[in-house]
Amino acid sequence: MTTIKEFLSADHSRCDEIFAQMEEKAVKSLVSAKKLCEMFAEATEKHFQMEERVMFLEFETKTGMTQGPTAMMRHEHSQMRNLISQMLEAIDLNNKDKFFGLSETLMILLQQHNMKEEQMLYPMAEQHLSNESDHILRMMESLIVEKY
Amino acid sequence: MELAGLSTEQAPPIAAPIRFFLTAPLFGILAGFFIFLSDSHTLMSRFSMDSIIATHALTIGFLGFVMLGAMTQMLPVLVGAKIPRVGMVCKYSYIFLVIGTLSMLFGMSLDSQFLNITAFITLGIGFFAMLFSIAISLLSVKNFTATVKGIATSVVFAFFTLFMGLFLLYSYIVKDISEIHIIVANVHSVWGIFGFAVILIIGVAFQVLPMFYVAPKFKKFCKKRVVWLITSGLLLWLVLSAFYEEYSLLGKIWIATFVWAFATTVWIKLAQRRRPIKDVTVWYWKSASVFLTLGSFLWIFDEYFKHEYIVMVAILIGSFIISIIIGMLYKIVPFLVWFHLNARGYMTIPTINEMINKNAARAQFVFFMASVIGFIFSFYMPELLKFSAASFIISMGLLEYNVVAPVLIYRKTLKTKPDFDTSIYEGVK
Repeated sequence: MTTIKEFLSADHSRCDEIFAQMEEKAVKSLVSAKKLCEMFAEATEKHFQMEERVMFLEFETKTGMTQGPTAMMRHEHSQMRNLISQMLEAIDLNNKDKFFGLSETLMILLQQHNMKEEQMLYPMAEQHLSNESDHILRMMESLIVEKY
Repeated sequence: MELAGLSTEQAPPIAAPIRFFLTAPLFGILAGFFIFLSDSHTLMSRFSMDSIIATHALTIGFLGFVMLGAMTQMLPVLVGAKIPRVGMVCKYSYIFLVIGTLSMLFGMSLDSQFLNITAFITLGIGFFAMLFSIAISLLSVKNFTATVKGIATSVVFAFFTLFMGLFLLYSYIVKDISEIHIIVANVHSVWGIFGFAVILIIGVAFQVLPMFYVAPKFKKFCKKRVVWLITSGLLLWLVLSAFYEEYSLLGKIWIATFVWAFATTVWIKLAQRRRPIKDVTVWYWKSASVFLTLGSFLWIFDEYFKHEYIVMVAILIGSFIISIIIGMLYKIVPFLVWFHLNARGYMTIPTINEMINKNAARAQFVFFMASVIGFIFSFYMPELLKFSAASFIISMGLLEYNVVAPVLIYRKTLKTKPDFDTSIYEGVK
């Protein structure tokens, strides 16, 4: 049976894969990477919302910790949303230097963010939400992404 | 479970690691001057005063400073461990370490008892305070990953290296250079290089290579066994060197084999990385894996050449560590600046790629490589030494310029407050 940690970690890998494809394409031509960049933005937004609208809420309700790690993860999500929208702008302006500067920054921010979630937050969530795990997974899978 | 790594407020203040990073290249420049003022014949002997001084300007002044600074930053992020009172510990340890390193270098150079005693006290306090705080923080870690094991093992070796180093310095102070001094010096250098530096780098590489370059993750066997295998090799080498010297080569082969296996793995992982970007940091990782391979095997063959190549081994292994460290600095310093500015609400700041001039970084790489190759060939062509030292000084000067640039952006942004944007905090209630 899939756990919350396994499910969300696998989703990190899925987003990483799209990111890598997008950069590969962008090396050749920035315009041709636009579709993949939009796909990456969508996949990442879905991941953020699965956490913010489902898992974090359940975690906060169960533990009473609203100012703790989930608040910080939300803050980092905001930072990453901002970088992704700047990357899309850089593609529209066909500014390769800017795009790769932003993608480099996003990559490091994203990886250290994922590491913190996978090594600390998800194990904590599993510890507190083991009984509700199936229900949470179903809600995350069926989530309809709201426009941010 | 430790949550420190999840909170920006609890992350170390930017000054904690940055002051170490900005000081390190200055010690590199100083090391370059010590080499420039020496000659290749004197530097051929690892026990000549010139060799000891130049080596320690690099190992303590450059490598030690960067590694300690990096650990204060990496421990919360990579392993979720928070150093207690990190701001204060870093600030005072830094002062002790600067005084201690300068005192040691000039104390040995000028044969000054006063400076050597000052170095003994201040280096002892500075290193002990940092290592002890790091060790305490590691005790709080519950999730014992391969990276944590690597860092923890390297800290144990760092303690041994420190105590042996203090013993060696003490024997210089009391002018009692006995046979045991040579044995301790040998263990001090091998454990310092392979036990502290190489194992630390291996532990960090498990996380950092996939993180920075989207390289494939290291295999479970590698993550689980390499640190343990090198550690057992270092212990085996110690026992054999102490009691069965004729077999100590076996210990060396053991260590070199697994170190080489790691170096090769790094090369393969980089070749398979998903990020197509080729920047100077990738060059540094690749050159480091070549230096590590050459250095490890030359260390074995050195047995057959009556130790005449041991300095070359030091150059190669040293170049491996310095290469990795420079490569990491080029990533960590701009990211820290960006991260701390962004966390304060500054949104339209330069990206981490724009903070360091790419041409200056490439030039720095070329001067560094020229100096390493020059140092090796200066054993055959002594006149090359001065050119190589000059090239090394220039490379360290450029490195200082390159790591100061992002810090100046940080200060300027805080001063001019270009676009303070609080919308970032809207998600954090």
